[in-house]
Amino acid sequence: MNESLGNLAIQEGRYLYAIINSGAEFCFGDIGVNDNKVYTISHEDIAAVVHSCKAEAYKTNDNDRAKEWILAHNYVIDYSSKQFGTVLPFAFDCIIRGSDETIKNWLIRNYEKLAKELEKVENKAEYSVQFFCDPEKLREMVTNSDLELKELKEKMDQSSKGAAYLIKRQFELKMKDAVSVELSMLANDLCSKIREHVDILKVDKNTSILDKYKGMKQIAAFSCLVHNDKIENLGEALDVINKLDGFAVRFTGPWAPFSFVEMKDE
Amino acid sequence: MKPQRENTLVDLLDRMLNKGIILNADVIISVAGVPLVGITLKAALASIETMLDYGMMEAWDESTREWYKNDLANRNGRIPLMEGEAIFRSMFGFLWSSHGIIHEWRPGTWHLTNKRLFLWREEMLFEIALDRVGELKVMKETHLNMERNVLILEHMDGAERIYVSDLMGFKELIEDALVKNNRGIEVRNAQ
Repeated sequence: MNESLGNLAIQEGRYLYAIINSGAEFCFGDIGVNDNKVYTISHEDIAAVVHSCKAEAYKTNDNDRAKEWILAHNYVIDYSSKQFGTVLPFAFDCIIRGSDETIKNWLIRNYEKLAKELEKVENKAEYSVQFFCDPEKLREMVTNSDLELKELKEKMDQSSKGAAYLIKRQFELKMKDAVSVELSMLANDLCSKIREHVDILKVDKNTSILDKYKGMKQIAAFSCLVHNDKIENLGEALDVINKLDGFAVRFTGPWAPFSFVEMKDE
Repeated sequence: MKPQRENTLVDLLDRMLNKGIILNADVIISVAGVPLVGITLKAALASIETMLDYGMMEAWDESTREWYKNDLANRNGRIPLMEGEAIFRSMFGFLWSSHGIIHEWRPGTWHLTNKRLFLWREEMLFEIALDRVGELKVMKETHLNMERNVLILEHMDGAERIYVSDLMGFKELIEDALVKNNRGIEVRNAQ
């Protein structure tokens, strides 16, 4: 092969959106990141949703542009899910160096793993559940149930100013510990309340918190893979918790199963 | 309660920047875990705040790890096991501790072995040999308007209150271990 042609071939790439449960050759139109034409590359009964691009990552310092890209990436995944049922989503900015042929070979190499993952998520979707608690309520509960805290509080009220200050420090230290234990117990409680309604439950460690919930303490966040038939039951279970005094639940979805694709490709 | 799909940027970023199919590094151009566009965006979204309560997160993180890798504690070798002792199951949980004026739930990892049940958190918080375990009972307690099950473990010197999230499962596991333990004794007696 001539050297310049070789370089050209290397510079070509395919941006990946999702793997779908259909072998259809399909063109989605110019809906991709940067208005690129999105289409499928299939092997047997599965296909990759891609657009053709240069083999380099999309990067920008322009936030509006970045937002558009993220929305476009999401839009293609949502659109694919609507057309073909639950898909295996890719993270933003996954680009394979090569041509349609390269993608096809990748699909062939990973066919069994992909088919297995698709089967795992069939008729299911990802939902995100975040539990919050009012911090004042939390302190109140802990003070009422912890005898040591109760005694410290009484002592504090009866002491002179100087002594009260020292006791207060002791009280706050103990309170911090007690609140942290209470939070993990609550997280366990809440987890056991929803576990039966979900197919797979994962603790989410890095879920962002919306401004709306800033004043509250997050107890725990979970990603849940839920079968379509069970989603109402989960909603009902969450409703009970949401109505508890001092508690709030944020329940979002359906999302493509981002947290549940576990395969490693070859 | 119905799930909401607000498509806030925060929700989208949480998923699209570090989740999804992971590609082998030699075919991929930008590694999914470090997308350049994501870093700029996250930095720009000053309103995003991730969980900051590390005290709780450590405990919770521990529970997750135990949950998925039950043999983790065993493998890292920090847990002082006796000779011939093997861990059946480990899970994050609590023990009610009541000494003098201190009454509290002590968190740790419960380890059920072929010889003992013990709660470990950098040190031994509680241990009991299986042949000293008496009756196991599940009791309902009301806490914050929510019912919480607690496991009561009776033994010669009293009773313990135990809490784990899968309480019924834990009770069955202990009962299973007790049966196996008894059988072991029978076999030895017969020899």
